[in-house]
Amino acid sequence: MPTRPSGALTGRRVLELADETGAYCGKLLADLGADVIKLEPPGGDRSRRLPPRFRAGSGREEGLSFLYLNTSKRGVTLDLQKPEGPELLARLASSADLVVETLAPGTLESLGLGYESLRRVNSRLVLTSITGFGQTGPHRDFRSSDLVASALGGAMTVTGEEEDPPVRLAGTQAYVAASTVAAASSLIALLASSQSGEGQHVDISVQEVTASVAHICGVGKWLDDGIIPRRQGTGLFASVPSGAYACQDGNVYLMVNRPLHWIALARWVHEVTGNQEILDPMFEGPSSNRQPYRELLDLFISEFTSQLSVEAAYREGQSRHIAVTPVNTAAAVAEDPHLASRGFFQEVVHPTAGRLTYPGAPYRHSETPWRIQRPAPTPGQHNQEIYRDELGISESALRALRAGGVI
Amino acid sequence: MPMRDRSANEPAQALAGLRAVEFTAAMAGPWIGRFLAYCGAEVIRVESRSRPDVVRLYVPPRNPELGTQPQLSPWFTDWNAGKRFVSLDLRQPLAVELGKRLAARSDIVIENYSAGVMDKLGLGYPELRRVNPELIMFSSSGFGDTGPCKRFVTWGPNIEALSGMSRLSGFPSRACTLTQYAHPDAMSALHGLVAVLAALDHRRRGGGGQYINLSQYEATVAGMGHVMMEYLALGREPARLGNRSRHAAPHGCYPCRGEDRWCAISVVTDSEWQSLCGVLGRREWLDDPRFASLADRLDHAEALDAEIAECTRDRTDYELMNALQRAGVAAGVVQNAEDLARHDEHLAARGFFEQLEHLEKGRVTATGVPLGLTGTPGRSGRAGAAVGQDNDYVFGTLLGMTRREIEAAIEAGAIEPVDDL
Repeated sequence: MPTRPSGALTGRRVLELADETGAYCGKLLADLGADVIKLEPPGGDRSRRLPPRFRAGSGREEGLSFLYLNTSKRGVTLDLQKPEGPELLARLASSADLVVETLAPGTLESLGLGYESLRRVNSRLVLTSITGFGQTGPHRDFRSSDLVASALGGAMTVTGEEEDPPVRLAGTQAYVAASTVAAASSLIALLASSQSGEGQHVDISVQEVTASVAHICGVGKWLDDGIIPRRQGTGLFASVPSGAYACQDGNVYLMVNRPLHWIALARWVHEVTGNQEILDPMFEGPSSNRQPYRELLDLFISEFTSQLSVEAAYREGQSRHIAVTPVNTAAAVAEDPHLASRGFFQEVVHPTAGRLTYPGAPYRHSETPWRIQRPAPTPGQHNQEIYRDELGISESALRALRAGGVI
Repeated sequence: MPMRDRSANEPAQALAGLRAVEFTAAMAGPWIGRFLAYCGAEVIRVESRSRPDVVRLYVPPRNPELGTQPQLSPWFTDWNAGKRFVSLDLRQPLAVELGKRLAARSDIVIENYSAGVMDKLGLGYPELRRVNPELIMFSSSGFGDTGPCKRFVTWGPNIEALSGMSRLSGFPSRACTLTQYAHPDAMSALHGLVAVLAALDHRRRGGGGQYINLSQYEATVAGMGHVMMEYLALGREPARLGNRSRHAAPHGCYPCRGEDRWCAISVVTDSEWQSLCGVLGRREWLDDPRFASLADRLDHAEALDAEIAECTRDRTDYELMNALQRAGVAAGVVQNAEDLARHDEHLAARGFFEQLEHLEKGRVTATGVPLGLTGTPGRSGRAGAAVGQDNDYVFGTLLGMTRREIEAAIEAGAIEPVDDL
């Protein structure tokens, strides 16, 4: 593994006190080259154990989600409940640009490490807090989860089928979105701090991020057309036709948003099925013209796709500039020749989990290439390197900290 | 609903002094500029009448007789708040030249046209770098700018399907599950924002400009990476869990009194479980061996969900949420657009929603921008306006063209006159 991180954020130092709520924020920054130090309680964060887990040979069992969400970071252990804990954190913060934390609101303050205290140690420091509801407001101390944030943020009410209960997306998409916003907002605050010399507290609410991500179905639309968006299957309310359609061997997703795309689709359906009605000019124009005929057009298109394989619909549709894509399984994504040709997936060797394939870059910088700098750390893997070599704590003092259960 | 406080003595904005030019459409591109503008950057959006943004082809559902209303889409007005609008017919050499002059005066170019279109127009990165070596150019498309499928046409929901998100989400009884809000469009824009800001940080430290390419497919898979790992490491398709969790039970969305009213509940620890039994008035569950430990509750998740649903059915959603939260249990009403704007006292207290000034409608309400910058709070400017609304400012004041030069460019068809398409 390379020793020095490289990337757009090389030279930035980040302390991360984050569980699965905010780990993706640290990953985004670390894969871009920031030196992200993950602080965990002695023994490791609880999120290390989240299933599904993987065991290589006789190695320790590792949570796969943890392995992915913590790439490129270094790891130290620190017990903030011990008297020496907050002091060590403050020392680390004095040379950091950013602290990312996901503790319940008020926790850092109770340790004497709130923004005002950290600011006295390092006035340029940015403190980014990611919590369910933010640092202020009547629900600030409410408990949250990815599911609860998806519910209160307005995402679940518009996900899935009309006759089913509301449902959330796979994994923890509310956390991923909040972490991505937290990374962006932290970078904005860092740019400002570089100019002004003044850091700030960034207050990320997972609920607000969810509401923002789902805002196509939010207040703007509702006040405009008076219709409260709800679940309505796979088709999007504003696009006709749109939805998942069954082929011979799976499903494709097909969507028409432009008048010309409709004409191309109608011709294609006619060629395959002989359907004359679909060529009727009354269906032409923007989606709003087809809105009254949504069900009829869905029937026409289902009849048509049922005669095609997924691959044929995908290739032929795209050659006609129609937005048709397969509804992929995880296996199909992992084996997609397009992703392979771009070298999307990356191999990473972890000390205990061994060599595994990971999803790769979300973006590609021409001059500062994104890369996984190192595998997720094992608990306290970099204690020596960071506490002794970088903070200058003596061997004997380190031994005392270890004996005291601080690290 | 209360607005964000706007005092006359507003603090400095974080990105003041930066300028971005965008050649964008729909959401995945424009939403990036929305955040930049909110933080004080000057964002100029270039549009062309020959290829209108699909969001401008908006027919108001309440007044379809009005026909297409390019300035009235609630999405267009939101995604483009705070921007300047110019109209250039990019098929004209003079228009391309003006586009280049704008790029030469900017820090950032953002584009999400189909892969290859900017190059064909003569506005690709090699051209723009020649006029501005410090430029950060960000380009976003469905599949990215290399690979066999780079020219394929996609919209947000296509990416949801392609990335595995639709197939891996939702109840096991369904073949696939989709959002009504094109989740990947938002996630691509947010990842793009991170990418651009990181490049700015690199440039600030003397690193120079660069080109960034984003594949919306790859960005969405990256956000699903923690789910994908199960296949990549263990060779098995991740199970569709619906609202269940592998490490929490009960974990679901339970019916409440009224039509389409639900409350989500997540319970991990035994003490949370005890609190839940108390609030639901079912202390006998504490002695039920099926529910004794988390492992037992996970094993009997189906029976557990059914029993809880029986208890929640007669409760009102907000009352149940508040009772559970008072007892320390994570619970939340499944809120819709109206609930968020009218019934969420917490969002109201935080001043989350915004009022945007709109040139035709007066004011419109928009969902807030969740950046949480307490030291340099953002501000939303004017809602998205007409194609070419700011031609005079941008070409005259900014580029220093004379009245006669602008008129000549309009005469030549390079600058399109301000209008509604």
